[in-house]
Amino acid sequence: MKISVLGVGTTKFGELWEVSPRALVKEAVSEALSDANLKLSDIEALYVGNMLSGILGKQENLGALFAEELGIDIPAFKVEGACASGGLAVHNAINSILAGVYRTVLVVGVEKMTDHNPGEVVSALMGAGHDEERLAGMTFPGLYAMLARSYIEKYKTKKEDLAAVAVKNHYHATLNPKAQFQFKVSLDQVLASPSVAEPLRLLDCSPISDGASAIIIAKVNPPAGGQKATRRKNVYITASTVATDTLSLAGRKDLTSLTSAVKAAGKAYKMAGIEPGNIDVAEVHDCFSIAEIIACEDLSFFPKGKAASEIAKGKTTLGQGRPVVNPSGGLKACGHPVGATGVKQIAEIATQLRGEAGLRQVKGAKVGLTHNVGGSGAVAAIHILKNE
Amino acid sequence: MNSISPVKIWRHQKETSLLLEKEGKIVSWTLVRVPPFGYERQAPYPVVLVELKIGKRMIGQLVDWQENDLKTGRQVKTVYRRIRQPDPEGVIPYGIKFKPI
Repeated sequence: MKISVLGVGTTKFGELWEVSPRALVKEAVSEALSDANLKLSDIEALYVGNMLSGILGKQENLGALFAEELGIDIPAFKVEGACASGGLAVHNAINSILAGVYRTVLVVGVEKMTDHNPGEVVSALMGAGHDEERLAGMTFPGLYAMLARSYIEKYKTKKEDLAAVAVKNHYHATLNPKAQFQFKVSLDQVLASPSVAEPLRLLDCSPISDGASAIIIAKVNPPAGGQKATRRKNVYITASTVATDTLSLAGRKDLTSLTSAVKAAGKAYKMAGIEPGNIDVAEVHDCFSIAEIIACEDLSFFPKGKAASEIAKGKTTLGQGRPVVNPSGGLKACGHPVGATGVKQIAEIATQLRGEAGLRQVKGAKVGLTHNVGGSGAVAAIHILKNE
Repeated sequence: MNSISPVKIWRHQKETSLLLEKEGKIVSWTLVRVPPFGYERQAPYPVVLVELKIGKRMIGQLVDWQENDLKTGRQVKTVYRRIRQPDPEGVIPYGIKFKPI
């Protein structure tokens, strides 16, 4: 499989009270079109990744809504898969190209979360869970706290090693002008932050964010007039996979791994014809600190039970180790507008593989991976990208 | 607060009645301090993932608990309790919670 990433665009992530969802999408798309040197008339279909527009904003029919906003009347679809909505939208867009239906497709991930009070957002996010979990008053921090407890008890993980994930991702975010939190936090600050759902603390958790990200993808050969006549490196998606698992944690046998991510990653490595050791840079779904630790093991970057201490030693920190994980700052510090995240991850990796990531550039990065998870692991989408 | 569907509650009762007084042990747990809408008055509250002796795993709140009940392996049993505050139409949802034994 070889799909060209022609253009990418991502808005600032954060509490963007003055910006509407329509404006967010317009900004991300304009940036992606300009980046690809394409016009809207070159785009044949639009895929929108979004989770909460209906449950929070009472607005559905997003395909038509954003097509209207952009002033186009092409086929347009909303794809929903909780926090993996963005990754699933990209997967569907790729499949439409592989099927030969469209040649050049726009994917936009968008979420507007800060218009609503936090209790409503916590409840709305639980739409990704199981009815039994909702009745129990469970929250997403609570579900990942259960995973954290099982992991910590099994592998005797130090609380400092759990906290080190947030310290690393906040450091990376200081190098990303689009990030929500462009400041460092110390290990002591993470460990002293208030408990949200034991054992997870506030600074173990990704924030509530607004933001949008867009990518334009096409068959291998860019359309005529596309891509700037520069010596810019071409970037390709060489694997796109999705796997699912039980909606509820109660359906899982193993609470120290996300089987959906393991399955999707296995298929993706095979599809791209590479090994985990070939990955130079990865954007993984660190909705909570424990999630990045489990992700690094599910992706076979480290053996089971070892990721926490390796991350704490700097093995995935920019300028210190390989693969560099979450150079954007990840969900934790770049922000997590849920539907936008899976698209932003691909935009970030494409930027890295072109060598255009500025201060956060992973030197000489050739192969990158994105890991996007929905629910407590009910769905996972993996993409592998390479440059040429 | 969102309204609660009495039809949905009625449909669930058929399964709920089969799961009462069942024993099991805590597989994992958390203490929720930042609750969702409708659960504010209960927080903080423990939620436990329990493996029942009948082989089924369930998630629910722990009631009548002390600090030392919050540990994996703790023996619990299912009980019938009010789930949350009534909705604006007065529907009071009941369901399964767990109690240390």
